[in-house]
Amino acid sequence: MPKILIVEDDEKLRNEIAVFLNNNGYKACFIDIFKDVENEILKINPDLVLLDISLPNADGQYILKNLRKKSNVPVIIITSRANELDELISINYGADHYVTKPFNIQILLAKINTLLKRSNFQTLQDKIDAKDFVINISNSKVIKEGKEIELTKNELRILKFLCENRNKIVSREEIMNYLWESENFIDDNTLTVNIARLRSKLEELNLKKLIETKRGQGYILKCGGEDEVY
Amino acid sequence: MKFTSFLKDKILQIVLLFCALGTIQIFLIIYDLGIYIKIYIPLVILLAYFVGILVEYYIKNKYYKKLYETLDKLEEKYLVAELLNGASFAEGKILKDTIEQIDKSMHENVNKYKYLQEDYKEYIEMWIHEIKIPLATSKMIVENNKNDITKNIDEELEKIENYIEQALYYARSNTVEKDYIIRKSNLKDIINEVILKNKTAFIQEKILIDVKDVNVNVNTDSKWIVFILNQIIQNSIKYRKKEVQSKIEIIAKVNKENIVLHIKDNGLGIKKGEVERVFEKGFTGTNGRMLNKKSTGIGLYLCKKLCDKLGIKIELSSIYNCSTEVRLVFPNSSYINLTEM
Repeated sequence: MPKILIVEDDEKLRNEIAVFLNNNGYKACFIDIFKDVENEILKINPDLVLLDISLPNADGQYILKNLRKKSNVPVIIITSRANELDELISINYGADHYVTKPFNIQILLAKINTLLKRSNFQTLQDKIDAKDFVINISNSKVIKEGKEIELTKNELRILKFLCENRNKIVSREEIMNYLWESENFIDDNTLTVNIARLRSKLEELNLKKLIETKRGQGYILKCGGEDEVY
Repeated sequence: MKFTSFLKDKILQIVLLFCALGTIQIFLIIYDLGIYIKIYIPLVILLAYFVGILVEYYIKNKYYKKLYETLDKLEEKYLVAELLNGASFAEGKILKDTIEQIDKSMHENVNKYKYLQEDYKEYIEMWIHEIKIPLATSKMIVENNKNDITKNIDEELEKIENYIEQALYYARSNTVEKDYIIRKSNLKDIINEVILKNKTAFIQEKILIDVKDVNVNVNTDSKWIVFILNQIIQNSIKYRKKEVQSKIEIIAKVNKENIVLHIKDNGLGIKKGEVERVFEKGFTGTNGRMLNKKSTGIGLYLCKKLCDKLGIKIELSSIYNCSTEVRLVFPNSSYINLTEM
């Protein structure tokens, strides 16, 4: 499990981020004494650092500058300073992303995912095994008993989202929210069309009635498999 | 300075002079001096006097005329003291000295308020940084405890966030010094950020969004543009028409000398006579007053002010009860290209 270090002085915020990261498949840890932070970071040796700029007795940008002399660990700056100058300085000092408070945690999570993936960490599930079928995310295909079918980007995302919430009713709104987060601004009609197409493609693989419509509530994907990450 | 008004000031001198000349004439008659002397003496005195005041008029007129001309040319009239030459006569010296003293005291007074304002702005900025931490924490708590109640709270938190942003940019818009950095920014990234900010409203209210040809770079401060666009988009959401399918179109057009970003909605529109006034501070218009919209008249006013600072032109046109279009015109000036980072 990738280890994420939170360097943030606000205790409550730090705890909430930690809870969220732990719920999403990461191991969160933090420091609460902000003395000699860069050596603390090196000692903990995390896979990714979430770093605040205004810390007691320390400055995040200065820490980052010193840290970069010794380590290439991915760093995301999280700060309430919303101006271009601080962003520019942070990026120049070697930050990978600059996120301002209050942040959208889903987007932050997506950034963490891609950063870790880039630093060769196989956190992103390449394949999702749903017992009845396997979704291969890297080449956007669904495989069942040796037969495979290609999905479009939207269809893949919808199927992935339904799989992640399998045996649970997912509202249309939730699906749209999920798609919008990856900057795919589809509307209601497009979603209907996408789901219809996804269904017919799955039927080609003999996966009939996999996605059920729950009137007035949303959709549900019923299957028995547990997540297995390759 | 008119010659007549100059003479008017000298009226007492002239009257006294003629009285004196009259008295002299009486003496000349009593002592019965020759006719030539009777004419010659007053003539010399009059001549000497009038040559004297003519010279005086010439000097003073030249000085004051120059003063008025300088004043006319100056945009900041209080700077006139710096450009005023020393006068050769006492009144001019007094005038220059007075202006200089007034200027100095005015500057001190203005500076006092400048510092107060700067101080206040710093406080607001600090306050905004501070308030964002509990706000971020609240949003995280909502995220970790998702249910219908926290979803409602989340919507309210988003409103708070918007009001805070507005306060921040209001404080920034009022300062003289440069508070932004111009660098190459991608319009698509900016637009996506704004759309994501308003995601909940778009999805819940089923508003269509159509973004076209926006993958272009402009030279500007992206944070400021995010704020400006957000105000515009929020207006489109706020003043949408309930009876039709709401739609917002965003399209960028690249011209030779500029890039124009069009944001068009099919909402309530703005009445004809009101379009010119939408950028005025506190202007709410018919739409703002009715419909319970709680319009503050600050959003577009701030947009205009920030655009002016960034050197962007903002235009608005509307067809009442049909559509509203806002255009942001980003200039392609070579100066801005130079400062590219």
